Amino acid sequence: MAGFLIKRCAQAVFVVLAVTLLVAWAVRLSGDPAIMMTQGAGSFTAQDLENIRKALGLDRPFSVQYLEFLKDLVTFQLGNSFFGGMPVARLIGEALPSTLLLASVSLLVSLAISVPLGVYAAVHRRSLADQVIRVVSLVGLSLPNFWLAIMLVLVFAVTLGWLPASGNQGPTSIVLPALTMGVILTATNLRLVRTAMLETLTAQYVMVARSKGLSERVVLYKHALRNCAIPIITYVGLQFGNLIGGIVVIEQVFGWPGMGSLAFDAVAARDYPVLQGTVTVLALVIVIVNLLVDLVYGLVDPRIRAE
Amino acid sequence: MERRSRHWLRGLRTLEFGMGAILTATTVALVLLARTLYPDGGEAMDLGARLMPPFQDWSHPLGTDSLGRDLLARIINGGRISLTVGFVSVVGGVVLGTLLGLIAGYYRGFWDMILMRFADVQLALPFILLAITFTAILGADLWNLIAFMIISQWVQYARVMRGQVLSLRDREFIQSARAFGLRDARILFDHILPNGFGPVLILMTLNVANNILLESSLTFLGLGVDPTIPSWGGMLADARTYLQSAWWVGVFPGVAIMITVLGLNLLGDGLRDYLDPTLKV
Amino acid sequence: MSWKGFGALCVAALAAPFGALAAGTLTVAQQQDPGSWDPIDTYLVNWSMVANNVFEGLVQRTEKLEIKPALATSWEMIDNDSKIRFKLRQGVKFHNGEPFNAAAVKFTFERLLGAEGAKGPQQSNYNAIDKVDVIDDYTVDLVLKRPDPVLVTKLAGYGGMIVPPKYIQEKGDAVFNTEPVGTGPFKMVEYKPKVGVTLAANPDYWGGAPKLDKVVHRFIAEPTTQVAELQAGTVDIIYPVPISMIATIEKAPNIAVVSVPGPSVVDMMFNVKNGVTKDVRVRKAIIMAVDREAIVKQILQGQAAVTASFQGPLSFGYDPALKPLPFDPAAARNLLKEAGVKPGTEVQFDIRGADAVFREVAQAVAGYLSGVGLKVSLKPYETNTMVNDIIPNGRTGEAYQMAWGGWTFDFDNTAYLMYHTGEHWNPYVSDPKLDQMLEAQRATYDSAKRLELLRGVAKYVADNALDMPMYALNTIFGVNKRVKNFAPPADTRYRFTEVTVE
Repeated sequence: MAGFLIKRCAQAVFVVLAVTLLVAWAVRLSGDPAIMMTQGAGSFTAQDLENIRKALGLDRPFSVQYLEFLKDLVTFQLGNSFFGGMPVARLIGEALPSTLLLASVSLLVSLAISVPLGVYAAVHRRSLADQVIRVVSLVGLSLPNFWLAIMLVLVFAVTLGWLPASGNQGPTSIVLPALTMGVILTATNLRLVRTAMLETLTAQYVMVARSKGLSERVVLYKHALRNCAIPIITYVGLQFGNLIGGIVVIEQVFGWPGMGSLAFDAVAARDYPVLQGTVTVLALVIVIVNLLVDLVYGLVDPRIRAE
Repeated sequence: MERRSRHWLRGLRTLEFGMGAILTATTVALVLLARTLYPDGGEAMDLGARLMPPFQDWSHPLGTDSLGRDLLARIINGGRISLTVGFVSVVGGVVLGTLLGLIAGYYRGFWDMILMRFADVQLALPFILLAITFTAILGADLWNLIAFMIISQWVQYARVMRGQVLSLRDREFIQSARAFGLRDARILFDHILPNGFGPVLILMTLNVANNILLESSLTFLGLGVDPTIPSWGGMLADARTYLQSAWWVGVFPGVAIMITVLGLNLLGDGLRDYLDPTLKV
Repeated sequence: MSWKGFGALCVAALAAPFGALAAGTLTVAQQQDPGSWDPIDTYLVNWSMVANNVFEGLVQRTEKLEIKPALATSWEMIDNDSKIRFKLRQGVKFHNGEPFNAAAVKFTFERLLGAEGAKGPQQSNYNAIDKVDVIDDYTVDLVLKRPDPVLVTKLAGYGGMIVPPKYIQEKGDAVFNTEPVGTGPFKMVEYKPKVGVTLAANPDYWGGAPKLDKVVHRFIAEPTTQVAELQAGTVDIIYPVPISMIATIEKAPNIAVVSVPGPSVVDMMFNVKNGVTKDVRVRKAIIMAVDREAIVKQILQGQAAVTASFQGPLSFGYDPALKPLPFDPAAARNLLKEAGVKPGTEVQFDIRGADAVFREVAQAVAGYLSGVGLKVSLKPYETNTMVNDIIPNGRTGEAYQMAWGGWTFDFDNTAYLMYHTGEHWNPYVSDPKLDQMLEAQRATYDSAKRLELLRGVAKYVADNALDMPMYALNTIFGVNKRVKNFAPPADTRYRFTEVTVE
């Protein structure tokens, strides 16, 4: 087990390092922040640009800038935003909890819808209910997330006035963004649950349990559901990256002050420290979530460890 | 063989598979006929006839958009771009990903390790942020977009396929094929691929929809492609400000996406049931 | 006095001790968080929307764009126009109690022009200033290196805002960025990055305390969400209003659209160096093929004005006598034929992908040009890529979108950057005659002469069809009807001193 743990952690460190390098390289391709800054100014000279670059430390070679970024990362400093000098660690400190909260609640919403419906559809395979559940779940798949978001805002915030349309101003604020993400995720999750359930239901030990004369309910809840939890958890781990990605749009629509909008604004402004910081921290979160999933998985199923 | 064809027939008979086939065929046929039905590509504009409601004037059955262009013509033509984005990106990703997944899972060892680390890195990167960064660098071009989708999605197929190979390679029928002295390529493509393709197929049908919508999200974020070439996603994103004043501008392209997604997924489910023998209940 | 009026008076008298009832809170939505409130760190309009109520310059610009005294009560050019002497307002205090005086002015400009200012975008706007001489506690001279006829206007905003020396020296720049202190009618009491800002009335404001208690600014990037908040009654003022949503707002009984002519002009600049647009006849043909009046009337719903040069009617240098080329597709076709451009020729126009309004306009332009046989493809770029890479490096198609705010409302700001040889955003135009006119207007304080020169520039550019000016866009706000006395500012720099809410 210790060996497995060490190996997984080493892999995780490698992944994070690779991500930092890739991101640091990519953001520097995207444009010069010095020119961004002179945009509102009148006439400026090459010397003005050079001064700004120097002040931002952009005149140094890439390797020096990258190593400094790594150093910052290890010390949890992450540097300061180019625009206004706000410490990146502070920006992320405020944005990350919001994003994690939104991501987890969305995931819970989605699981709360997809697990019962998916199990029901699997058990009653080919029934009318199964068909209806699956077709309706596809609606979530065919709507762009921003579209669903706007619709929900119009209904619940504008017409009914029950919920706030945007921002994070209290516990009710999370309802609409989480519902939007949840519904979108449900389309995929429901299919996953249904498939996993079907596979378990046809597996040998379930057959055995049935043949022993156990009631269908016991078979379902005691054996099948518990066993199909493993692929669902794995998938949720894998999906976490996508989930975080989709959050960019949702945060934009709902003015949710999270990592997505932070990163989006940073790309637009070519704010290297903020962009590097947010993407790296997000990658770190994704890696950690997957590591945890792996560990849980490894504990549950010794065969995985052996791999 | 006999067992398979019976199953095939049963698949066809199911409601969903039939519905899926009809919907997909209709969509594809309309899109293929787009240039014949509307030689101008739906570009004819009339600023005097902006935002005409649907079902009132039969020269514009679904009404007009904010530039007075016929909505039906634009939707049918828009399918060309949307379906190209959806299909080309997915097929490209599947070919690349499945191949690498097969090889990695079958031979294991060094290249498998490299592939899996690569996959880990890619899964740790929030896709849309990368898309935004690269569109910012390269400019919003249809083929850039497709290439980017392939590059970022092949990993999913590779991972799934590799997992399938791992679970299949020690099965009896593969063992016996190997014992018969079949070449690796034969084993991989004739035995492992068809038996393990089910989950990939599901992922494919899901991703066609995802990618059509992704184009929409990028337009929403201001990174869409040439607006003179209609696409469903682009139309939907541009229509969001008209939602309360001229609903039809956004609703009809949305319906087009929905029909396509529905058709493809029903078709995919049906095909999968046919391909995956373990799911016969 | 009627009984009803008397009753109202009684209620007012009763309510008087509870100030909060009489006044109130105004909530404003804007798209972006500028990230820092330090005047020398920013170039964003979104900064001014908030900070204009917190900071003041030596002069101020009213919502009607007139220059008026602010922290200076008067000023004059002295010593052969080489200095500007300012008499400062007495008895003014910063929000932290620090006194405003000549030392604060000197500190402000030395900071702006020194090492701290070099890190930010504002320094180059004020480079004409050599130094600040303190004459006495309430008199300062700005000593100039070279003439800058627009300098006084620039002192009303951004880098010219006066900052408190002691506060910055004691607390440091990082604190000042997030907890700014100025002399303005409102003080910033809370700033949550990416979320919003709360301003509270400054009761000691020299111009009289504001009538509102609080102003809350919220950062909401997506315009449809801003409109939804306005409709729901949770936000009182929104900006910008997408033109396509005006109809939606006007349908609701409790909210309204308020618009005024603004500084933003949208322009299609031609690539005069390569491609078919090298030929002035082709450029003129393109201009004549596009019915800009129809675009403004239909797509923009009248919220813009067609213009003949890259400036709006409010700009110094605007010439009402200069008329754009008429819409005449037949003449355009002839010109193209003359220039040897075959029907079906492909041209590429570069646009900003995030500009939803212009996305529509550009499609209409493409539609009109297909009418004279040009096949236009539109290439959308992310705004900053376009502005920082595609345009400066001359990698555009035959034409490219340029939108300019012109915050000084002086054609110099736009014309010099767009048409003078070698300027960063001018990869193509190089014309000695134009250069000479542009330089001449910068060297004189004689308004009449400058006006003539700038009008000359506009006419020269139009005669050579260097660009296709599209329109000057209105500044459009969505406002809840409970807001009273809101004077919509053309430059979006809100002034909330007189505003009340019901």
